[in-house]
Amino acid sequence: MLVNEIMHRPVTVIQATTLLGDAFQQLQTRGFRHLPVMEQGRLVGVITDRDLRFATSSLSPAPRTAGEPVSLVMSSPVMTVDPLDPIEDAARIMRDRKIGCLPVLDGSDLVGIITGMDLLDALVLLTGVTKPSSRLEVALADRPGELARLTAFLATRHVNIHSILTHPGADGRVRTVLRLDSSQTRPLAETLRADGFDILWPAQKPWQH
Amino acid sequence: MAALIHRPEYAGYDFGPEHPFSPARLEMLLDLFRSLGHEVAPIAAPAATREDILSVHDEAYVAMVEALDQGKPNLEADRFGLGTPDNPIFPGMDLATRWLVGGILHGARMLMTGKERRVLQLGGGLHHAQKDQAAGFCLYNDLAVAIQAFVAHGWRVAYLDIDLHHGDGVQNLFYENDRVLTLSIHESGHYLYPGTGHIQDLGSGSARGLSVNIPLEPFTEAGDYLEAFESVVPRALSWFSPDVLVVQAGADAHFADPLGDLALTTQAFQTLYQRIFALADAHAHGRVLLTLGGGYEAQVVARVWTILYLTFMGLPLPEHLPAVWMDHWRHLLGPGTGRELHDPASAMPDLPGREARTRRNRDVVNRLLDSVRTYWI
Ligand SMILES: [Zn+2]
Repeated sequence: MLVNEIMHRPVTVIQATTLLGDAFQQLQTRGFRHLPVMEQGRLVGVITDRDLRFATSSLSPAPRTAGEPVSLVMSSPVMTVDPLDPIEDAARIMRDRKIGCLPVLDGSDLVGIITGMDLLDALVLLTGVTKPSSRLEVALADRPGELARLTAFLATRHVNIHSILTHPGADGRVRTVLRLDSSQTRPLAETLRADGFDILWPAQKPWQH
Repeated sequence: MAALIHRPEYAGYDFGPEHPFSPARLEMLLDLFRSLGHEVAPIAAPAATREDILSVHDEAYVAMVEALDQGKPNLEADRFGLGTPDNPIFPGMDLATRWLVGGILHGARMLMTGKERRVLQLGGGLHHAQKDQAAGFCLYNDLAVAIQAFVAHGWRVAYLDIDLHHGDGVQNLFYENDRVLTLSIHESGHYLYPGTGHIQDLGSGSARGLSVNIPLEPFTEAGDYLEAFESVVPRALSWFSPDVLVVQAGADAHFADPLGDLALTTQAFQTLYQRIFALADAHAHGRVLLTLGGGYEAQVVARVWTILYLTFMGLPLPEHLPAVWMDHWRHLLGPGTGRELHDPASAMPDLPGREARTRRNRDVVNRLLDSVRTYWI
């Protein structure tokens, strides 16, 4: 999944010369938490509702006032991504830098913005929980062909896979979580067990041995 | 008075010999009622019309089911959830489903005219069917069609779903309707199909607080289940004060069901049924309309739904199943089936993790009650 598939556009922006009071109004009325800041058509920073509230708070050592420009408070320079970057790279940047949004630049043109919320939407999509489905969790040996063996089994039974997620397990095996378009996952799991797969869910019922 | 609805055409709702939703379950059930010595003369209702179906479903979806019913192959079928292992295509599928919808609709009309107070439709309970999709063995949503008819009649409707699975189709169709309260108690969607029915799904707009979900941990037993039921359902019904209670009485929450992971016993089902009728008397003018639903182990559904029927009729429960009936259905019952109506007392051993499950189930119920409190005033 690429950044341009989840980013928001067109992007609402403000100018570096905009006054803090007007910026506050914009964030308030539009319900945004982040606004890219532009100067002569180029992206020069980002201002967040948090930046603005901290800068103008009476608890701040030198509180800013509504009549001062955004350029004094914005974060700059600003981290950006390319529309063709994979979303996992965008997520890593946001996590590492602890930032809530990334403007998307195509060359020097601002073409979109992605926020933490967009990444959560992507997570929900990727995990396949937006469609009626059930969970199958398998511990696969970390060697070529194991995932293929699993999906081939499902293919022969015409079971559609809504999503597959894998992550390394503590035991060196590959934890694989599938959402299947099937309400018959338990009988499927029993056949898979008989085929030698280590099925973590559905687990064997504790009263049936 | 109590009325039973069924007709032989219900057996036509048949996805084939390999499919769990087998119509033989109904046939063996009726045979068991009769073998127990009860005069059973169910009411044969007319099929639902196309217009009835369109009261809850999209025209494009209905047209697709009709085309497939006539054996016309269509590459678009899977866009409507049809032709999958869960919902195979079969000739006559449109009419077969309309027979089932017609049954519950007839029951609804008997309640609306005051002719009956308790109606049991012996079949149906197709709670997963969506506005524009077949899902989870369900083609048309019979429950939603009946609820819609009650709403059109000016009634407020409480829907209670005790099937193992979340009643997603019914919930979605009335998610914004403030005349309909939906309550579903089920195995958590974190694991089980259809993956929904979380405590945070509360309904929207003026219907906020009217979608109520009680998701339970896998391997939850009768004690926790009934405690969760008692913590939520009476309170909800007493507050909403419906004109009628509609119940999807699936039996797949039984511990021996092959598709699920809940661990109810026949004794738990008996308690549950008694409570449902008492709650209908206390909060819904005694009006209750029930369907069957999921339940995929023949010897289980025969016993559980017999308990339902006898409780519904106010008849005493026998201790044993008739030998002649057992011999006749041995091929479906399996060799290990005993003669007792109820599960043996030793059916459920001390299970590992029981305390942790109880704690999590209580947490879920408490969080649910916290979040509906502001709406239920
Ligand atoms: Zn079910």
